[in-house]
Amino acid sequence: MSSVNQSQSRGNSSQKKGGRKRNENNVIYANPLPITFSRVENRFTVTALGIFGISPARLLKPQCKGTFDPITRSVWITDPKDRAILWRRGFFGKGNLSRSEPSWLVRQTNIRTAVGRQTTSEEVTAKRRAERKQFKLDRARGIAAAAAEAESAFAEGRIISAEETKALIPSAATWKPSPSTQNVTLSFLEQYQGAADLDAEPLEDMEHMQLTFSEAFFLTWALDCLSIRRPNALEPMTLPEIWIAFQTTHLPPHLQAYSSQESILRPDNPFLLNYFFFHHYRSLGWVVKNGFAVVLIPVYEDARDAESSPFSLSNSEPFTWQWLSTINRVNSQVQKTLVLSYVTIPALSRVSLTELTSPACFERYSIREIIIRRFVPARMRD
Amino acid sequence: METKTHPTYATLSISIKRYPRAASAIFQTYNDLLLAQQWSEIEIVDLPTCGRCGFRGRRPENPNTRTCVVPCSLAETISMTWLKSAFGEFEQPEEVFLAINAEDSSIVYYKLSTGITKPPV
Repeated sequence: MSSVNQSQSRGNSSQKKGGRKRNENNVIYANPLPITFSRVENRFTVTALGIFGISPARLLKPQCKGTFDPITRSVWITDPKDRAILWRRGFFGKGNLSRSEPSWLVRQTNIRTAVGRQTTSEEVTAKRRAERKQFKLDRARGIAAAAAEAESAFAEGRIISAEETKALIPSAATWKPSPSTQNVTLSFLEQYQGAADLDAEPLEDMEHMQLTFSEAFFLTWALDCLSIRRPNALEPMTLPEIWIAFQTTHLPPHLQAYSSQESILRPDNPFLLNYFFFHHYRSLGWVVKNGFAVVLIPVYEDARDAESSPFSLSNSEPFTWQWLSTINRVNSQVQKTLVLSYVTIPALSRVSLTELTSPACFERYSIREIIIRRFVPARMRD
Repeated sequence: METKTHPTYATLSISIKRYPRAASAIFQTYNDLLLAQQWSEIEIVDLPTCGRCGFRGRRPENPNTRTCVVPCSLAETISMTWLKSAFGEFEQPEEVFLAINAEDSSIVYYKLSTGITKPPV
């Protein structure tokens, strides 16, 4: 709450717009997890109970509902209120037609109406890409003009200095989008609107939010604020059912028909590895998403398990220098630090079947982290 | 709501049943092309050597040509032979888009052309 007040007092300066935006974000994204605590109004009760070390505030858990989908290996959330709660409190899930937050309906509505537009992140990215394309066109034209100038100067016997040549070519730091660029993007949008005006029916939201199995299990088991149903079922799935179902979808199709637990439950099931990894980093306060610069490397305690495994786990073979260098370079370019996370899979001989039927088996797994950075002698001092 | 009751499942059910390993990539790519990218006249092209179906349709930016897309998943490894057979089954278009699907439904499109092609700018 104190950070909100500070932003308000700074709002009177020239950074008014930035301060208000930050202010809003601090309010919208204030809760790091879906669970919240109830506010207790009576200060006397709070102080009195506080002497005994008891807090009268109660834990509030939102009851969100999701549907299990084995084909896309995810849990679908369709209710708009649930979607908002899960996204705003912890950034769980992803819209299946958007880059992150479900914004398909907003984007489609924007295309149809010119007034009262809410800008989405996809539109900001599209605008940035259009401007960059225009810059590249201008630069290409500049280079061609400079080359033509140099040719004619050579033919005449004149010399052109390097500064004059550089002046013709626009640089990324100083280029500004000209009004003609904005006209191009506007005319493109009008084209869209022309087509869409004919169809004046109200838009049905075709998008849903998708939670990965790790996120869904975390919300159901660790936080108890999500219930998952099978499609067309009335009752929610129980935790043991969810545990088995999530692991079964990772099996190849011909093995999924078997219902005996011995054939399904294995310590190297991708769901177990991914969940262990997810839980570890969420507990540290990180938001784990696809494209996270932490690479999960499974390590088999018993090499024989790797041979008998029906899963082909990626990164389980010793990796090559090329792979490591590529990953390291790509991550450095997007300014992320590479962390290699070694998760040790216990041997089948050491883990009993009873342990595998519940999350108790996670006690047998362990994780080690190694941070890798490129050493550039010219830039580093230690 | 789930895949089987989704409005677009009816069009894709044959391909999803025939190629269960690529079912997730097929379903997600089709929905992205139809609803998010707003492609029109999308037809399903069977690609048996690649073990999946592909799509051909018209992009809003380029309505005069039919663009081809092959879905695949991030975890898969694909070979040059696989890509060449995809080009073959689409009847040798100039370029094919590879739709790489991640587990959380993010899709990245890579443009593949035959031979060495200079970028436009």
